[in-house]
Amino acid sequence: MIKFILKKLLMIIPMLLIISFVVYYGLQMTGIDPINFMVSPETLSANADNIDVLRESLGLNDPLIVQYFRWLGNCLQGDLGYSFDGSSISDIISVRLPYTFELAGYSLILSAVIGIGIGIISAIRQNGIVDYTGRVLAVLGQAVPQFLVGIVLIQIFSIKLGIFPSANRVSPDAKNAFVDGFMHMFLPVLTLTIGMVAVLMRYARNTMLDVLNSDYIKTARSKGIPEWKVYIKHGFRNAMKPVLVILMFRIPMLVGGSVVIESVFSYPGIGMTMTNAITSGDYPVVLITTLIIAATMLICSFMVDVINALLDPRVRLGE
Amino acid sequence: MKKLFTTLLSAALFLTMAVGCSTGNSSSGTQSSGSDSQTNSQSDSKNDNTSKTLNLAISTGDGSSTDDKVPTPWYNRTMATNLMFRSLFTSDSSLTEVSEDLASGYTVSEDGLVYTITLKENLKWSDGEALDLDDVVYSIQTAQKAARINSIYTAAFANISEMKAEGNVLTLTLSTPYSTMPQVLAQFAVLPEHKLSSVDPLKLDSDPFWVNPVTSGMYTVDTFNTGNYFTLRINENYEGEKPKIESVTTYFVTDFLTAAMAGNTDFLYGNASDLVEQLSSDSNFTAHEVDVLFYKYFIFNMKGVDGTENEAMQNVEVRKSIIEAIDRASLADLYPNAKVLNSGVPNDNEAYNGFDYKFDADKAKADIAASGYDLSRPLRICYYNNDQTSIDLINTVVYYLEQAGLKVEATLSNDGTTDLFTTRNYDIGFKGKSSFSINEWYTEYMSTDALFANIFGGDTAFDSLIADLSASTDKADTNRILGELQGIEQENAYKVPVFTVGTYVFTNNKLSIPESVEFCNPLYNCDVDYEKWEIK
Repeated sequence: MIKFILKKLLMIIPMLLIISFVVYYGLQMTGIDPINFMVSPETLSANADNIDVLRESLGLNDPLIVQYFRWLGNCLQGDLGYSFDGSSISDIISVRLPYTFELAGYSLILSAVIGIGIGIISAIRQNGIVDYTGRVLAVLGQAVPQFLVGIVLIQIFSIKLGIFPSANRVSPDAKNAFVDGFMHMFLPVLTLTIGMVAVLMRYARNTMLDVLNSDYIKTARSKGIPEWKVYIKHGFRNAMKPVLVILMFRIPMLVGGSVVIESVFSYPGIGMTMTNAITSGDYPVVLITTLIIAATMLICSFMVDVINALLDPRVRLGE
Repeated sequence: MKKLFTTLLSAALFLTMAVGCSTGNSSSGTQSSGSDSQTNSQSDSKNDNTSKTLNLAISTGDGSSTDDKVPTPWYNRTMATNLMFRSLFTSDSSLTEVSEDLASGYTVSEDGLVYTITLKENLKWSDGEALDLDDVVYSIQTAQKAARINSIYTAAFANISEMKAEGNVLTLTLSTPYSTMPQVLAQFAVLPEHKLSSVDPLKLDSDPFWVNPVTSGMYTVDTFNTGNYFTLRINENYEGEKPKIESVTTYFVTDFLTAAMAGNTDFLYGNASDLVEQLSSDSNFTAHEVDVLFYKYFIFNMKGVDGTENEAMQNVEVRKSIIEAIDRASLADLYPNAKVLNSGVPNDNEAYNGFDYKFDADKAKADIAASGYDLSRPLRICYYNNDQTSIDLINTVVYYLEQAGLKVEATLSNDGTTDLFTTRNYDIGFKGKSSFSINEWYTEYMSTDALFANIFGGDTAFDSLIADLSASTDKADTNRILGELQGIEQENAYKVPVFTVGTYVFTNNKLSIPESVEFCNPLYNCDVDYEKWEIK
């Protein structure tokens, strides 16, 4: 098992290197000259010599491969570099990433509880009111784009009802930080949760139905085990294995998906940082934020492999 | 064991949620100007005075501002920076008449080459340091080297050959007369030398100074919270009349309209149809129409100073036929307050030469065919505004050009100027320009202009007239020069103005603003009697 985990862990390194190079190369190939974003057009002509010095100091005159390995070397030493407006990327990330993780974390917990809960009830009470309502909501939740859900929620709860703030994470006049945090996070968390619940609900319902129709459940029932015990101990436990895998794979989607949601809610997380960096051609920041999302994806993928191996020894044997 | 584990896990989850929801104010980049206790007591007092706080918003969605620092006043002015940073003079709403601000007055020599400016005495920065001519000289010298700065300063300060400070009198000697120098100085914010002298001018924008800047205006920064907001409190060292509004909160938002509707801003501006329509019909806001020189125009990608040219656009008849094929009046209808124009001079200006680019689809079609233009070749247009009105406008342009027999490709690009000459993949750019004056429109034609020389090939035909225009102080002379410039402009058709778009300033009705106040172009600074504003 340890060999299996180590092997999977080691595979993350070359994957990250390849992704970093592809993203680095891709951003360079866009033809964006960062100097055009950093320096006003008039200054470009009036201070040509100074601009050359600036370009040289940023290492923009070096060959692509030299720039890449210099950047990589610095990253490995913990220096993520500077954005084109001079801010330390480490500082940017340290402020923004926790905001995004808390958004993704709460959405994950809420969607897991609600989605799996409704999914299980739908399977147990198949074709009942919860099942029908859940199926309709699942289709809606998956069909309506998240940004639209966010805009509708802002219209209703911020603009019409004035209950929740439409933007930011913190208020300057907050009397209670907990209440303030809750109020600011409610709508973006709800938006992310709605989309996630739909997926988890459908998946949990289907796997639970499969399990409930299996032979060992019939055997358990024939032994006279109470129905609730059949559902929870035999049904739920076995149905959750594939749902857990789906849940893990939703984490990077939540982090990546926050790019849109954070922009809608002016939420100062990594997603909005990435959007602003793209708008202003700040590709050192685009590069790091993209890599964070890629790393989250790889780590979750690794955890899925480990969980699968723990739950099903055949996976390890296959390896 | 399993039960214990489950209980512990549940407790940990609950604690995480509780801690997470309550960490926002104390960490994550929150910075303040004073000690924690000082900031807290100020925040508490603000809670009691929420109604006395003016809310403003800064949009980070267009890439012009970031949410980790106060925007610098040297690029675009905003209401927040106007309240923090002062200039030597202040303007009226037309941005043409100046009156005293940091300076008590000025005189100019008869030849227009020497400005003598007297600074007021006993001025102080918000940190208590003296504000003197060293700050003014430092600011002008730094602006000449700064990376990101409005072109009106670069163009004006390039004419300064000498600066001499004696006591509180500054003598600016120009190499050539520059008629709008006082108006430019009325926009130019003076920055504190004692805080910035060691900062590289090319990196001035990113200096930590902008998180907690020392200011000269009515307000100074109280708290700054990265990504969320910054608050302003009254600057105790401001020598003028204190404002009645005690504090200002500026939120970083991605969308002005949502911020306004949700009560996050009491002051905003714009010209996009959706914003104007929505807020004009909102009973919480009052609309103030502002006549600004915001040009929307086409620019033809001609050739670079390196000689690389776009062959397809070299024939002036092709360029004129393309304009003839577009009904510009119908494009102007897409905006709430747009006026069609035929040169850099608005049609209602007395200097307008009366020329009219007439819409004639049939003639345009015949002219394009007669010009020898290869109709199988796609005409490539780039534009950079991605709001719905701009997209509708471009779709309409494409429709008109296709009616004239052209194949057209329209591409949303990053930048409508540099994209033209960095790739030469486009024939026409569609751009917007918020001009300080008509002069600014014409300075783009200068053969030495950093950007446009790469698009018009460094044509020197406009140079001497533009220099004369910059120097002219006589109205009749200015009109004559503008008449000649319009002639050359229309003859060459390098860039063709479509219309000017008026801007609307919206103020929340909770504000009591003196009736006499007239707003100016919101990207610049003018006297709006802010000290008399109140919150009802």
